[in-house]
Amino acid sequence: MKEDDFIESLRKGTNKAYSQLLDEYQQKVFSTCISFIPNKEDAEDIAQEVFVEVYNSIHTFKGNSKLSTWIYRITTNKCLEFIRKRNTKKRFAFLQSIMGTEIPLDKTGYFTEMNHPGIILENKEKSETLFYAINQLPEAQKIVFTLHKVNGKSYQEISEIIKKSVSSVESLMFRAKKNLQKLLENYYKNNR
Amino acid sequence: MKTNKDIQSTIDKTLQAFDTIETVEVSPFFKDKVMQRLFLEKEEPETVRFWFAPKMQLATLICVLILNSLVLAKLQKTDYKEDVSQFAESFELSTDNDTSTLSFP
Repeated sequence: MKEDDFIESLRKGTNKAYSQLLDEYQQKVFSTCISFIPNKEDAEDIAQEVFVEVYNSIHTFKGNSKLSTWIYRITTNKCLEFIRKRNTKKRFAFLQSIMGTEIPLDKTGYFTEMNHPGIILENKEKSETLFYAINQLPEAQKIVFTLHKVNGKSYQEISEIIKKSVSSVESLMFRAKKNLQKLLENYYKNNR
Repeated sequence: MKTNKDIQSTIDKTLQAFDTIETVEVSPFFKDKVMQRLFLEKEEPETVRFWFAPKMQLATLICVLILNSLVLAKLQKTDYKEDVSQFAESFELSTDNDTSTLSFP
C-alpha cells in the first residue's frame, strides 16, 4: 500500500489501518521513548500516548514530511513533555542547587527511577550517571544527543525530526558532547 | 585519590556506556492495550448516546414539561368544593339530604 493510501485509511480511523500502524511502529516508538526515559513502564505509557495522539491528530497531518518523521516528532515532544512535568515536581533539587550545592550533576533531582532492561549490569552505574548528565543539557542538545547516541538515528533523520539543517544538528551534537564532558568532569571530581 | 588522567578515562568509559546498550522489546500486550484504548473505549459512550442522544434528551424534557403544564392547568380548573361534595356523597357523609330513619315531627 502506498503511504498516501495508508494515511487516508488512518484518517478514516479503520481498525485495520491502526493495527498495521502498530505492527510497523510500536517497537520504533517504544525504543525512542526508552532512550529518553530510561524506565520501561513510563516509556510504554508514553508510547501509548503517542499512538492516541496520532489517532486524534492524523487529520492535521499535511504530508509535508514522511509519516515516520511526523510520528517521531510526536514521540520526541511527548517524551520532553513528560520530562518537563517530572522535573518540575522535583523542585527540591532546584532549591538544593540555589542553596549553593557545588555539584551541578545532582542525582536526587533526576525525574525518573532507572529501569532500563537493555543496560548490562557492569555498565549500569556509568549509564545512570550519563542519563543524569544528559538531563542537565539544554533541550535541543538533549534531543540530538539522545536520538543519535542512545536511539541510533542518523544526523539526516534527526534533522528531519527537529526541522533543522544537518550542520545545525552536528553543531548541537558537538556542544552536547562538550557540555557532557564538563558535567561529568565536575561530577567525578566531586565524587573522588 | 584519582588523578586527572583517571578522571578522563572514567569520563570516556561513561560516554561509551551507551555503545553496549541492548534493544528492549516492547511488551507483547502493548498492541492490544493501544487498540483497546483507541477503539473499545471510544465505542462505549457511543452506545450510551445511541438510545439517549441529546435529541432524545431534549424531546423527553419537552414531553415532561407539556405533561406538567397540562396537569397544572387541569388542577386549576377543577372546583375544590365540587370535589369534596362528590366525595362526601359517594361515601354517604353528606348532611344535605339526611336519610335518617328517626324522624321528628
